Amino acid sequence: MSKLVCENLTKAYGTKTVLENLQLTLESGKIYGLIGRNGAGKTTMLSIMSNQNPATSGRVTLDGENIWENRKALDRICFSRELNISAESGLAGYTVKNYLKTAASYYVHWDRAMADRLLEIFELKQKAKLGKLSKGMLSMVTIIVALASKAEFTFLDEPVAGLDVVAREQFYQLLLDEYAETGRTFVISTHIIEEAANVMEEVIILDKGKILLERNTQALVDSARYVTGLQEQVDGATGGLECHHAEVMGRSKGVTVLLREDEDLNPGFDVTVQPVNLQKIFVALCGEEVRT
Amino acid sequence: MNQRLTDAKSIYLQISQMIETDILRGILLEEERVPSTNELAKLYTINPATAAKGVNLLVDEGILYKKRGIGMFVATGATEAIRRRRKQEFYEVRLQELLHEAQSLGITKDELIAQINK
Repeated sequence: MSKLVCENLTKAYGTKTVLENLQLTLESGKIYGLIGRNGAGKTTMLSIMSNQNPATSGRVTLDGENIWENRKALDRICFSRELNISAESGLAGYTVKNYLKTAASYYVHWDRAMADRLLEIFELKQKAKLGKLSKGMLSMVTIIVALASKAEFTFLDEPVAGLDVVAREQFYQLLLDEYAETGRTFVISTHIIEEAANVMEEVIILDKGKILLERNTQALVDSARYVTGLQEQVDGATGGLECHHAEVMGRSKGVTVLLREDEDLNPGFDVTVQPVNLQKIFVALCGEEVRT
Repeated sequence: MNQRLTDAKSIYLQISQMIETDILRGILLEEERVPSTNELAKLYTINPATAAKGVNLLVDEGILYKKRGIGMFVATGATEAIRRRRKQEFYEVRLQELLHEAQSLGITKDELIAQINK
């Protein structure tokens, strides 16, 4: 099994620390979801993990070897970024065809037949200029680059941004097809959490430049409870447990609890217990406390 | 296999229950192959590891069995086994919930029996 590892990764721009002492291990053969609020550092992390951006300190290794300017390691990694069509990027004038040609020359395992097939599925015109494409169409181009790169470790940054709901579903189906066939490792960042929750085997939550949590998605969801009732009853049922995002309204209280293995709510209290989905867990962990 | 997934409980439990329900309804027959984990993953847009967990739960219970290199099959006697277990769950879980609710509403045992006999 291959491992891509971040060791004490820190990134600062001047006095602003974007990533702080990150520790993360990606194991091959899994689909990871990367979630975090805007500005949490997701894109910076992925760009450092693919040698597109130097770390201020710390390092990234693939099977023990530093990936920095290491061609052999980088042949196994693809980071398909969100396409930025600003004047400075100089990409607006590229046709889809030329852009894919550039990608093909960069990724040694490029699958031309797959890229052509995906162009057809997404109904993208090869002669279209990137500057003329909609946000969703640009996302399709980044998806094509990611899938056709055939890289062992493939990162997709917001691949479904701007895609309509049918195209998003289509993307997850294509991803699962490719995953079933090859067992490649994918890291997918997204803000549309619930749609991706069941696809990601592991979830990584990044908050303010730090890894808040990295866990099996289903295990995390199974461990979460939303507990409501009379304040004293809720406090009794949840005392000593890991509680997040308490909301108090008059006499009533609601709180999200993450149970560790072998833990359960304290018995004997009159409370309502409900399951919590990944999106709600994320809000409970990264949102501000609400008091009304 | 045409039911929808919900947020209400673990995905792998829903997968195993859907397979069970399909067996009870005669949609999947005994000694017939069930969809592979990759097929289930694609059908429900879920991670294959989650689908596998749901299927393995049924293997552990003897509802499904593995034929090496071919796939998963419904075991002989699976229908009866599922019915027996669900019946037990009905008495131990659902009926208890119902009795608990009846109690908190002040419904007496006689009133409840009268309702059932109506």
